[in-house]
Amino acid sequence: MDDSIRMNMRSAVDGVAVIDIDGDVTPATEDALLEAYAKCDQARAVVLNFGRLSYMNSGGIGLLVTMLVRAQRHGQTLHAYGLSDHYRHIFELTRLDETIRLHDSEPDAIAVAAHDPVAAADATAARRLPGR
Amino acid sequence: MTRRLERWRAARARRQTTAALDDEQPAVSAELDASPVDIAADDPALAHFQYAGGPVDLDTVSFDSAAVRDLRAAGVKLVVPLVAQGELIGLINLGPRLSEQEYTSDDRKLLENLAGQAAPALRIAQLVREQEAEATERERIAQELRVATLIQQNFLPRTLPDPAGWDVAAFYRPAREVGGDFYDFIELPDGRLGVLTGDVTDKGVPAALVMAATRAILRATVQNVDKPGDVLARVNDQVQLDIPARMFVTCLYGVLDLETGRFVFANAGHNLPCVGRRDGAIEVRAAGMPLGMLPGQDYQEAEVSLEPGESLLLYSDALPEAHNERREMYGFPRLLGQVGKGPRGATLIDHLLDDLHSFTGDDWDQEDDITLVVLHRRGAAPANHGRTRLAEFTVRSAPGNERLAVDRVVAAIAGIALAPARLERLRTAVAEATMNAIEHGNENNPELQVEVEVFAEPSALLVRISDHGGGPIDATAEPDIEAKLRGEQTPRGWGLFLIRNMVDDVFVTADDDRHTVELVMALEGDDDDVPR
Repeated sequence: MDDSIRMNMRSAVDGVAVIDIDGDVTPATEDALLEAYAKCDQARAVVLNFGRLSYMNSGGIGLLVTMLVRAQRHGQTLHAYGLSDHYRHIFELTRLDETIRLHDSEPDAIAVAAHDPVAAADATAARRLPGR
Repeated sequence: MTRRLERWRAARARRQTTAALDDEQPAVSAELDASPVDIAADDPALAHFQYAGGPVDLDTVSFDSAAVRDLRAAGVKLVVPLVAQGELIGLINLGPRLSEQEYTSDDRKLLENLAGQAAPALRIAQLVREQEAEATERERIAQELRVATLIQQNFLPRTLPDPAGWDVAAFYRPAREVGGDFYDFIELPDGRLGVLTGDVTDKGVPAALVMAATRAILRATVQNVDKPGDVLARVNDQVQLDIPARMFVTCLYGVLDLETGRFVFANAGHNLPCVGRRDGAIEVRAAGMPLGMLPGQDYQEAEVSLEPGESLLLYSDALPEAHNERREMYGFPRLLGQVGKGPRGATLIDHLLDDLHSFTGDDWDQEDDITLVVLHRRGAAPANHGRTRLAEFTVRSAPGNERLAVDRVVAAIAGIALAPARLERLRTAVAEATMNAIEHGNENNPELQVEVEVFAEPSALLVRISDHGGGPIDATAEPDIEAKLRGEQTPRGWGLFLIRNMVDDVFVTADDDRHTVELVMALEGDDDDVPR
C-alpha cells in the first residue's frame, strides 16, 4: 500500500460509514481508497472526510467517479466534508458536488447522511447493519 | 492504355454512287447514312469486333449493344474491324450489296485483306494527328506560361525597400504552372511602409491578370485610405466588379511603422503573419473574407509590435501546404516551430527553404508558387520583453514526479505576490500539465525528461512545460460527469479540463517531436479571494 495515504473506515451512526482520508487521492492511492470503501459495504451512506487531504489530482477525481459508480450500484449515497476552498472549487467545476453532497462539518454530514432514504438496491443489507 | 473515345468512331461510311464498282463486288449502299457512329468505351461490341478475326455480319450479333443498334439504324450490314497491333482502331462499315445479295465468302476475304492493309496505315495517320495535336497543345501551354510569367514578374517589385534599421527580404519561386502569388511594398508618408502579400486562387494568365489588377487597385486605394481594414474593404468592393466567377484573392495588407516597429494589418483570408521572437514564434490573427467573394465585407485589424532583433514573416500557401512522398503536409505547427527556432532576418528564408527541402526530398513537384517575405528589425533584442526567467529545470518521466515540478515552480515564484487561491490553482495546473507530459507525451519513459520553464512578466506568470511526444495532442471529448456515471465515458480524462479552468490562458503547441503547454496566470484578477 502506498505510504502517501492512510485510510480509516469507521461506522458513525446507524448505516453511515466515515472514511478518513489522510494524504493523497491519486491513482497511486487507488487500492487504499477502494479497500477502505469496500469495508463500507454494509452502510447505506458513506461520508468522506477530506480534512487531511494533502493532494488530489485528475486521476484522483477519476477514482472518485469510479467510487460513485460503485456506490450507485449498491444504492449508497456519498457525502463529503473538510474540503479546502480549492478542492471544493474543483468539485464544483467537475460537478462532482452534484452527486457527492458537500457539508461543512462531520456532524452536518452525518446528520444528513443518517436521514438518507434507504435505496432499493441494497435495502435489506442496510437494515441488517447493527448500530454503533 | 489511354484510348480517346474519338478513336472509337466507326470509320466513316462513304456515300458511293458511282457505278465504277462491278455489281459483283461489294459496294457501299447509296442509302447508307454517312454520319459517324459513336461507340461507348464499355460497349460489348468493341471486344466482339476486336477479336472477331474478320468481317462481322451484324445480323449474326445476338448480344445487346447500343453500338450495334446504332450501326443497324445507320443501315450498316457488315462491319470490317480494323485491328492494328491487337488494338481495334476503326471499322469499315458496309451497307447491303447493291445487288441485294448476301456478301460471299470471296467478298469477305477481299474485305479482310483490305482491312489488314488499311489498319496499319490508318493507325499511322492517327498517331501523326495525335502528335500534332499534342505539340500544338504543348506550344499553347508554353506560350501561356510565358505570358503569365511575364505579367507576374513585371508586377513583382524589382527592388526592395531599404529603410534604416530594417532588413527587408523577399523570395518568390513560381510553380511549373505559374500561380497567382504576389507581394508588394508601398512607401507611405510619415516613415511608414505598406506591405502586401496575396494569392489568386487560380493559375496561368487569368490569375496573373487578376493579380495585376488587384495590386493596381490596392496601390491606388492606399493613396486616400489609411487604415488597412478600410483599404481591404475598398479593394474588395472594386475587385468584386471585375473578377471572373469562382476566382478570388487572398490578401494581407499591413502598415509597418518603421520608427516604433508597430505592424497594423488586415487580412482577407490569407495566411496569418508570423513573428519570430527571441524565444519562439507567434501567429497574429485577424479575420476577413478573401477579396472578390462578397461585396460589403468588414476586415478586422490586428497589430503586433516588432522589437529589435525580431522578424515578421509573411508567406503563401505553398510552404505550409507542401506534401512529402508519404502525402504528409508540412503544416503550420512545423512552420511556426521552424520560425521559432530558426535564425532572424533574411537568413530565416534560407532556413525555411532548407527545412522545406529536407521535408519534401529532392523529387518534389512544387504544386504552387512559393512566396516568403521577411521584415526584420535590426538591433539586439531586449531581455525577453520584460519577461524574466525565474527557473528552468527538468523532471524525469515517472508517475508522481509532477509533484517535484509543482514544488520547484512554487519555490521559483516564492518572491512573487500571487493571491493564495491563484497559487493553488497554478499548482493544480502545473501538476496536471506535467502529468500529461509524463504519461502521454513521454509515455512514462524514465529516460525522457519533462522540461519546465518559469517566467515572470510584469503582470503574469508563465509556466512552459514541454515533453518529447509527437503528433497532435489528444483532445478527447469534454468530460461530463453524467456520461461518466452512466459508463459512457471513462472515469478519467479530467486533466486538460482542469488545466483550462485553473489558469487565465493555456497555449498548446504540438509538432512532430514535441508538445508544449504554456500556462499563463495573471498576478491579479477579480477572483483573487474566492476560488470560484
